[in-house]
Amino acid sequence: MTGATREVQLAQFERMLRMRRFEEMVIRLAQKHEYIGRQHLHIGHEATGSAVALAMQPSDKIHTTHRNHGYVIATGADPGRAFAEILGRRDGLNGGKGGSWHLCDASTGMQSTSAMVGGSIALATGAAYGLKLQGAKSISFAHFGDGTLDEGVCYEALNLASVFELPVLFVCENNSKAGQRPSSMLAAAKLRDIPQALQIENMIVDGADADAARVMFAQAAERVRTTGKPVFVECTLERWPGSHQVTAAFPTGVTDLALAFEQERISGKHAEWIKSYDPILRATRVFVESGTATRDELAALDARVTKLMEDASAFAEASPFPEPAAAFTGVFA
Amino acid sequence: MPQMNLAEALIDGLIWSLRKDPKATIIGRGMAGHGPEHHAEDRLKAEFAARIVDPPTSEAAVAQLGVGAAMTGMRPFVHYGTAVFAYEAWNQFINEAANVHYMSNGQIKAPVTFHLFHGIRGGGGPQHSGSPYAMYANNPGLEIVMPSGPRDAKGLIRAAMASDNPTIVVQHALLLGLTEDVPEEDYMIPLGKAEVKRQGKDVSVIACSRSVVDALEAAKELAKEGIDVEVVDIRSIAPLDVDTIVASVRKTGRMVAADETYEICGVASELIATVSIHAWSALKAAPVRVARPMTPVPFSPPLEKAITPGVSKIADACRKACGR
Ligand SMILES: Cc1ncc(C[n+]2csc(CCOP(=O)(O)OP(=O)(O)O)c2C)c(N)n1
Ligand SMILES: [Mg+2]
Repeated sequence: MTGATREVQLAQFERMLRMRRFEEMVIRLAQKHEYIGRQHLHIGHEATGSAVALAMQPSDKIHTTHRNHGYVIATGADPGRAFAEILGRRDGLNGGKGGSWHLCDASTGMQSTSAMVGGSIALATGAAYGLKLQGAKSISFAHFGDGTLDEGVCYEALNLASVFELPVLFVCENNSKAGQRPSSMLAAAKLRDIPQALQIENMIVDGADADAARVMFAQAAERVRTTGKPVFVECTLERWPGSHQVTAAFPTGVTDLALAFEQERISGKHAEWIKSYDPILRATRVFVESGTATRDELAALDARVTKLMEDASAFAEASPFPEPAAAFTGVFA
Repeated sequence: MPQMNLAEALIDGLIWSLRKDPKATIIGRGMAGHGPEHHAEDRLKAEFAARIVDPPTSEAAVAQLGVGAAMTGMRPFVHYGTAVFAYEAWNQFINEAANVHYMSNGQIKAPVTFHLFHGIRGGGGPQHSGSPYAMYANNPGLEIVMPSGPRDAKGLIRAAMASDNPTIVVQHALLLGLTEDVPEEDYMIPLGKAEVKRQGKDVSVIACSRSVVDALEAAKELAKEGIDVEVVDIRSIAPLDVDTIVASVRKTGRMVAADETYEICGVASELIATVSIHAWSALKAAPVRVARPMTPVPFSPPLEKAITPGVSKIADACRKACGR
């Protein structure tokens, strides 16, 4: 393995840890401040989200769905301001007006979170059109779940991207699995039959495998940049047991990197998810077993990230609510 | 008479609709919401599992599934959950369902019922707090009802399902737990009949949906100040019961219009226009409007509170109308 690969692997792992520790802090905040309501956490999708963020260039754009926190953090938003937004505080990324469901950060290319199923895919297609019209070399990323393929607008957006040859990378997080309540209901035998029918180059990757996802998204983004045409990547994911939680809880516990090696300590209803699925523990094992990093190095990185999130959360909780008059500002540009 | 919360009452209304009419059928899931009252739906599922389909997230086509089936003689009840999801079906509501009867010159009817949970709900933010019934009311051909409590919800759902027209039933998301006595037997409340929910002599609050509940609360407060408030629940914006509204304002001479749709082209504005046209000479003071100001719904709680019509704003409006 080259030093460069090791560096990028560790950079990806740090983003994954940031995403995970961010979400765990969101659970704590939701337990403490009930008013923030239902959160759609990105736990279990970190390998995918970090891979997408690493494939982005500084002037690229991304649009996400409700399951957005991971992308906001992975693309580099300040976690303190992201927490503050989720808490509806003055220092929030959106000044408290959007909350979790509408986090965005223009400075990182994180253009919008649409809480409407089908929102992000067409917006990102429009972003690609705008970038193309302006002669930019940049591309756009559409993050969406399998549920988006239920919506008619998805077909329309994919078709537009194909016929207009737009530089958009469609990132489909498919976490719909037989046996659980599915988040989509598709007659297509394979989800990728849909982009395939519209002549969009498409691939599939294990969205919980950090290396595979990183390599896949680097290649896919490169394809979009060189051809100027859309590419569709389906990321197969297993739903995290808390992904639809109404009351904030830790169904799989607080992440403990040591569990990657001390599997006999794992128990409970969701033991299997922790043991064999959790992409963070999986990456931890790969690192140590391949000699990329030691357990101590990873633990030290984790401690740094955890501290960062604690400080960020303290910043957010100390931020005041906006003045009520702020409700009336910003309706127009 | 049994007590029911609004979720239980609307499910009861649906159960009676399905019992009474073999053509009644249900498209959707989560009819009783996703809050603590959601179990109310179990009764419906237990009795009529075979007459319910749970569709994919395809709001536009699902609307037409209902409208097209209605045009063949079925009576579908199409549930959307959060009202804004039905924005995806704008054309289907307005251009298709609402026009069918007129543009076929009466050959074809579309007896479909759409069901939505609307309103500022605490944390819904800009995209989940919509109250689209004023926008729907801006179009002919749709019946639009907004129950303010369990008894009305049951009777109005029954009437909506029995109506030969496309009907939109809009429930406030925060009223699902509201509880009152509800008759156990089957009954209908005719569409287009307002109800005086509280008799008073000083000022008429004309309201619908959650604003009725808020107005009744405000009336209690104002009674202590010697202001006797009459509360009229319009129950439907289309058809609108002009006679009951006008009679109330003629009696009190003062009017507050309270409703959660937007100030501009909203229900409150329409009510004030109606009274100005039909009862101008009876007005002793300018009508006062309590409505949603022209700003998106912010997530942050103090900001959301600032834009929410509610008990204290309605009370202030009554004081103003009474010159206090
Ligand atoms: C237009 C619209 N319809 C319905 C909903 C309600 N809704 C929220 S999340 C969701 C499921 C989305 O599934 P998917 O896109 O696969 O994302 P996942 O939650 O599985 O990550 C639905 C139907 C919505 N937000 N917007
Ligand atoms: Mg999904």
